[in-house]
Amino acid sequence: MKQIVGVADMKVSNNPKESIITYSLGSCIGLVVYDSVARVGGMLHYMLPESSIDKSKAEQRPYMFADSGIPRLFKTAYKLGAAKQRMQIYVAGGAEILDQKGFFNIGKRNYMALKKMFHKNNVMINKQDVGGNVNRTVRIEIATGDIFVKTSGSKEVKI
Amino acid sequence: MTTLQNLMKELKNLKPIPAVANQLLAVVDNPDSSMEDIANVIQYDPAITASVLKTCNSAFFGLKNPAESIKDAVNLLGTDQVIELVLLKSGAKALSGKQKGYGMEKGDMWLYSVSSAVVAKQVAIKLSLKNKNTIFTAALVKDIGKTILESHVFDEVKKINLLVKDKGFSFREAEKKILGIDHAELGALIAKMWKFSPKMIKLIRHHHLADEKMIKDKEIAAVYLADCICMMMGQGVGSDGLSYRFKAQAMKELGLSADDVSMIIAEFGINMQEVEELLHIV
Repeated sequence: MKQIVGVADMKVSNNPKESIITYSLGSCIGLVVYDSVARVGGMLHYMLPESSIDKSKAEQRPYMFADSGIPRLFKTAYKLGAAKQRMQIYVAGGAEILDQKGFFNIGKRNYMALKKMFHKNNVMINKQDVGGNVNRTVRIEIATGDIFVKTSGSKEVKI
Repeated sequence: MTTLQNLMKELKNLKPIPAVANQLLAVVDNPDSSMEDIANVIQYDPAITASVLKTCNSAFFGLKNPAESIKDAVNLLGTDQVIELVLLKSGAKALSGKQKGYGMEKGDMWLYSVSSAVVAKQVAIKLSLKNKNTIFTAALVKDIGKTILESHVFDEVKKINLLVKDKGFSFREAEKKILGIDHAELGALIAKMWKFSPKMIKLIRHHHLADEKMIKDKEIAAVYLADCICMMMGQGVGSDGLSYRFKAQAMKELGLSADDVSMIIAEFGINMQEVEELLHIV
């Protein structure tokens, strides 16, 4: 079974028959976590770095923002038995339009927001595929923790 | 025959967007038009009328009493909603197909187009721009040129990708260099052939702001910004990805800060569900 993570959405699973997928990340970030002992995997697809931009929308859709979505992803994975020290982390997305600089560069800001939170909480990224001008579709298989990424116009590859 | 000559021949075989869309825009953006004028234009096209009524009476809108005429629909759902439905229904056929040259599956371009239209309207409302229906429609059909150009992009994809990946070209610039015309220019030719208003032709022609002089036109900047936002959000984007140029100056002309842009994105995040529902019912 395929669990689809929409935009501003999150899914966590410990069902080995499932895979979790999110389609066509542009400047958004797809954050994937996996604990190979508990066999728990999760994915978050957020759009923007900070919820302070619109508190009421953050309440309505906490997965829209890095700062309100990321803690929820970890906590939900913990509830299913995942442990922080075993967690593998994969990050994809954060693409940018050509010449998109500074504060308007949402892709880069989305990535920096995550880095900042990870730094504060001693979380390491194991692998990542971020930046550039391409769209990425990301999939994880819960049974194995194998992660696949597909860039628009190319075939899916295992990372 | 050159690519351009080929393209001109293909244009003539293109199934046009129903004329009602055009006539409707002429009426709705005229401040003197009444609700009745609008209903009359729509009723003139029986196929669109039947289709709009069917949608109005679908579970999505949950009307207690069914709408039996366009006038009923306007009374029950409001003029804006009915206009939007007509415009969406007019564009659906032309924009829903698979676009091999741009790596788009069936429905991808339609998702992208409807998203762009919804964001463009958000921008128009935020900035209190007039002609919000024209802006909505321009954002909806701006990539119509891709539907013809895509087979040529497919034939030359290696050359185009080389320019984009190694030479710093935007995808549009690479189209122009290799094929002699880009999808925005071709879209404007199609719009002209379909007798769209000069304003619509201009909005389609300049939706990537290739000509920087056009940046001062707020309507063009609004459609441009909507396109950039949808590119960033990624849904329905093809293999050309985000390989277009970002012009921060356009935001300045619109008087929008980066926070404003983030807020528009957040708003779109909420509206997205509505977009998906619209895609299903239209």
